[in-house]
Amino acid sequence: MIEFYFEIRAVHIGSVILSGLIFFLRGVGLHAFKASWPMAAPVRFTSYTVDTVLLTSAMMLTVILQQYPLADHWLTVKVALLIIYIVLGAYGLKYAKTPRARLGFWLAALALYLYIVSVARAHDPLGVFTLLL
Amino acid sequence: MTNTKKLWISLAILLVASFSVLLLMGREIYQKAPPMPEQVVSTAGETIYTRADMELGRRVWQSMGGMQLGSIWGHGGYVAPDWSADWLHREIMAVLNAWAAEEGAENYAALSPERQAALKGRLEGLFRTNTYDPATGTITLAEERARAIEKVSGHYEQLFGNDPAFEPLREAYAMKDDTVPDAEHRKALGAFFWWTAWAAGTERPGDTITYTNNWPSEPLIENRPPASSFVWSAFSVLFLLAGIGLLGWHYAVSHGREEEPHDLPPFDPMRGTVVTPSMSATAKYFWVLLALFLVQILLGAITAHYQVEGQVQYGFELANVLPYSLSRTWHTQLAVLWIATAWLGTGLYIAPAISGYEPPYQRLGVNFLWICLIIIVVGSFAGQWFAVMQTLGLENNFWFGHQGWEYADMGRFWQIFLFIGLVLWLVLVGRALWPALRPGAPGRSITGLLFLSTVAIGLFFGAALAWGENTHISMVEYWRWWLVHLWVEGFFEVFATAVIAFLFTRLGLLKLQTATVAVLFATIIFMAGGVLGTLHHLYFAGTPTVVLALGASFSALEVVPLAYIGFEAYHTFRLSKATPWMERYRWPIMFFLAVSFWNLVGAGLFGFLINPPLSLYYMQGLNLTPLHGHTALFGVYGMLGIGLVLFCLRGLKPELAWNEGLLKVSFWSFNVGLAMMALFTLLPLGTMQLIEAINNGYWSARSAEFMQQPIVDLLVWMRVPGDTIFSIGALALVVFVIGLWVRPRYQGVPTEEEERAATTKARA
Ligand code: HEM
Ligand SMILES: [Fe+2]
Repeated sequence: MIEFYFEIRAVHIGSVILSGLIFFLRGVGLHAFKASWPMAAPVRFTSYTVDTVLLTSAMMLTVILQQYPLADHWLTVKVALLIIYIVLGAYGLKYAKTPRARLGFWLAALALYLYIVSVARAHDPLGVFTLLL
Repeated sequence: MTNTKKLWISLAILLVASFSVLLLMGREIYQKAPPMPEQVVSTAGETIYTRADMELGRRVWQSMGGMQLGSIWGHGGYVAPDWSADWLHREIMAVLNAWAAEEGAENYAALSPERQAALKGRLEGLFRTNTYDPATGTITLAEERARAIEKVSGHYEQLFGNDPAFEPLREAYAMKDDTVPDAEHRKALGAFFWWTAWAAGTERPGDTITYTNNWPSEPLIENRPPASSFVWSAFSVLFLLAGIGLLGWHYAVSHGREEEPHDLPPFDPMRGTVVTPSMSATAKYFWVLLALFLVQILLGAITAHYQVEGQVQYGFELANVLPYSLSRTWHTQLAVLWIATAWLGTGLYIAPAISGYEPPYQRLGVNFLWICLIIIVVGSFAGQWFAVMQTLGLENNFWFGHQGWEYADMGRFWQIFLFIGLVLWLVLVGRALWPALRPGAPGRSITGLLFLSTVAIGLFFGAALAWGENTHISMVEYWRWWLVHLWVEGFFEVFATAVIAFLFTRLGLLKLQTATVAVLFATIIFMAGGVLGTLHHLYFAGTPTVVLALGASFSALEVVPLAYIGFEAYHTFRLSKATPWMERYRWPIMFFLAVSFWNLVGAGLFGFLINPPLSLYYMQGLNLTPLHGHTALFGVYGMLGIGLVLFCLRGLKPELAWNEGLLKVSFWSFNVGLAMMALFTLLPLGTMQLIEAINNGYWSARSAEFMQQPIVDLLVWMRVPGDTIFSIGALALVVFVIGLWVRPRYQGVPTEEEERAATTKARA
């Protein structure tokens, strides 16, 4: 599988960017324009598809590189934060009761997303904060 | 004579005739099975193997999981090789390379094509000629074969032990280190593998085909599909088309005759069902089966992952405690167990509901049976764990450990226990149902038919008890398929048709007479192909050609009713829309519709894909088999089980509002996930293997070299999205069911008047 490492990595990074972008745009549509399309079926299913591809490629990379969550701390942190990100995102788009709360959750989710990306780039649980050290 | 009576008589005649022939074929297989020699000697007089070696080897093979790790004669797991084909090829190559060395070449591949052709000619006679002497029970092998066997045996002894040099191969085959720690046992294991390879490569006395009808494809010794496989493949297609034509004619003739419109009930006739104590007690069957289902999925994910990392799971050395052989055993066994539990629970729930009669101590019986089932699952699994860990001891293995026969893996003790449990179940269902079965009871005929199909399911499990510890493998296969095939392609199909029709009569949507005739007719059609169709699993299991001919012809007929299943599905769909109150049953019905869909696609199409002898000759044990296995077993009976569970839950908790959103997610995730698994992984991978098997021999399509290609890994990974979606479906279903107990939302049952009013409004 190492033969496909670069392709899979590209797919992974691509779907990370796409996933974040979709989340961002849906939030903008929802919070700034009160539009209904962010929750329309085609948009939701596109988002699910991208996230499934993202997850699959992530699992492939862990096996190719033999670096696993729980064993490698930056991956542990990534997975843990990912779960929180999903929850925040769900509240940010849908579940939170008031528009204000949804906006808050959405912004928090975006911040977390950026932090996760920084963890991934730094290969370090501290992510962007490694710069401070 | 009434129409119904005629049908009953036809069914009886058909069953007697078919089972007579099937039994006759059993005798034929018994007589023509490849012989077990007393000893195998070389021309120089040295003893290579004895019968005791081979019998010991088979028991060792069974104890380590048998068919769950690699396969024999094409039956078993798909990650490790087919040991028969693998041994045969290795032995052939050892002989060829030794000859080439005598000619001063480095190996066979280094020879010129002319020399290769000459050696190949010599080889053919060496392998195909039958040197078994029935008088002395001795197989005599040429010296060069004795040397080759020594070599291959060494290979296997290292592979099944913990030689570090063989680590990569074990990893590729998903075998744990020290699969068989005992050196004597490893040697004996080779004796058994050798014998299966010998039968696959040696011609029957006075014939030009081998004991396994020339299976596996091995161009080096001219093991090619025999003429009979071409002939009966072509004829099987012919029979299929003829059957489709005939049944189409029948439908055309009877069209419009059966279904005079009748008054549909204005309210749900089952709404007043009183839930008796024994019916309430079935709830725990449904909880447990969902738990088993979740575990089954998890074990499936683990088993699939072993295909890319043979011993570890994301860095965790799981193979030491839960190796592939076990995860696959439990995965396949749980599939049958949770589906069976769904039906057991349904039967126990529905019987008193129909008859309105709660027999004394019924609840105690229901609870007792439930405890027995738990004990059987836990006990048989524990035995298998100790067996595969090789700590149980061979003397206990047959009774308490791992029998190694796919779908019939539990120890004999547990099989007997389960059989008793099934009989107990029949008694419990039968006694509650009794008032509805007495002469003169309304709907007696269809109730009786449904009950008969459950009796057949229960009793046919008895086929698993027909073989013993040392029964010839061809006969074990024969009885094993009595169990597996006659269940899934016979009585389960009848049960599925009968139970759905039955529920519709209960709901007043189908007239009793119409439903009875339709179900009887369907039973006859299913049984016409299904009983003798059993033989399609035995084309290459050491059986004579007549088995191949009958198996191919009759199993093709099994697809005939499936080709028309659209009729049934459409009918079901229309009935579900016939009255407003049917909305209550929307999700059970959706699952019943999925049953029809996958019956066509999984059983009919993917089943027939591998069914003609010429196809199965190459496809057996490639990924095209699980393509069919998954789509048919989950697609048809898994979906049916879930539909039935939902139906029972409706009755158990009539006053609750359902979280339809969860069921919708669940339903579509199951269907989409299953389709993705089939289309992204199993079908493409199976097709790749097929081409390889046709071009270079069966062994090659199953070899580590082939299966370790990056593209194969990639295809296996392509399962992840589909399997993830599928799992979400299961989780949604479980959350739904838990919600009914933990966070019930009461909406009350609509009164009869309300339903009546809604119906009148809808009609107007
Ligand atoms: C709903 C009905 C059916 C179910 C649940 C079912 C299930 C299965 C299962 C579980 C296997 C074993 C797969 C394995 O070894 O991994 C199998 C094998 C097979 N099935 Fe079916 N099946 C059904 C209907 C059919 C039909 C209608 C046909 C074709 C007429 C068919 C033809 C076959 C063949 C040829 C094999 C392979 C036999 C072998 O390797 O010995 N099946 N089926
Ligand atoms: Fe079958």
